[in-house]
Amino acid sequence: MSAGPGATSGGRPRTWLSTAFTGMALLVLVTVHMVAHHFVVREIGGLRTYEQVLEYIGNPVIFVIEAVFLIVVTWHAMLGLRAVALDLDLSPRLARLVRPGVVVLGVVTVAYGLVLIGVLAGRA
Amino acid sequence: MSSEPLDPGEVRRAPGPVLRKAPGPTAWLDVRRGAVGHWAFSLNRVTGLGLVFYLYLHLAVLSMLLRGPSAWHGFLRLATTPAFLGLDVLLIFGLLFHGLNGLRVALVGSGLAADRQRALFWSLMTLGAILLIGAALHLLGTE
Repeated sequence: MSAGPGATSGGRPRTWLSTAFTGMALLVLVTVHMVAHHFVVREIGGLRTYEQVLEYIGNPVIFVIEAVFLIVVTWHAMLGLRAVALDLDLSPRLARLVRPGVVVLGVVTVAYGLVLIGVLAGRA
Repeated sequence: MSSEPLDPGEVRRAPGPVLRKAPGPTAWLDVRRGAVGHWAFSLNRVTGLGLVFYLYLHLAVLSMLLRGPSAWHGFLRLATTPAFLGLDVLLIFGLLFHGLNGLRVALVGSGLAADRQRALFWSLMTLGAILLIGAALHLLGTE
């Protein structure tokens, strides 16, 4: 049994290490996020009301944890997208666009997410 | 079972997974003749792509909070239906499989458990199944 066929993370050790480290961090961050959002509140599905969401994200510690989670999960996701894209046997010209493409997408995603939670925290 | 070596000729020179050239751009998706490792790899990618899709769906849903309490409470009515809670269980399956299989890949790729990967895989999948059942019972049973 091997790790699997094909290049799992774009083929370079540094990329693989980045994927592994962000993945390990996500094991903790996703657990915290899921427990906080689904297993603390007693309502059906564990989902918070509008007021409860604002109170939650308005806590500075929670805000930082959620911001770090957003950055790490986006980083990990972009590394994964890059690996899948590079396995598509793209032409050299297209393959050169993959890295800047995922960097731009990742930066836009993190920026939007930070603005979103920042605005919500500001309403608390 | 637990000490099956990696394929001959796969010499490790650096940290990371053993890399083999796939025979085609979507060969990773074809599991018809694949062993457990191939299934795990393919399902890891499928769940990964699903989770990336969910990341953007999640951001879109959370954007409803910007429109005020009425928009959010309308979403909550939909999100607490049994069908939607079933999708939550599917999400937790994706998270558990991708996370626990990723942990296996990291441990094997770093050399910490290179000779234990089959046992590691089944141990982690058993743990994942237990956690999934517990999470599903909690989500679907909460009143």
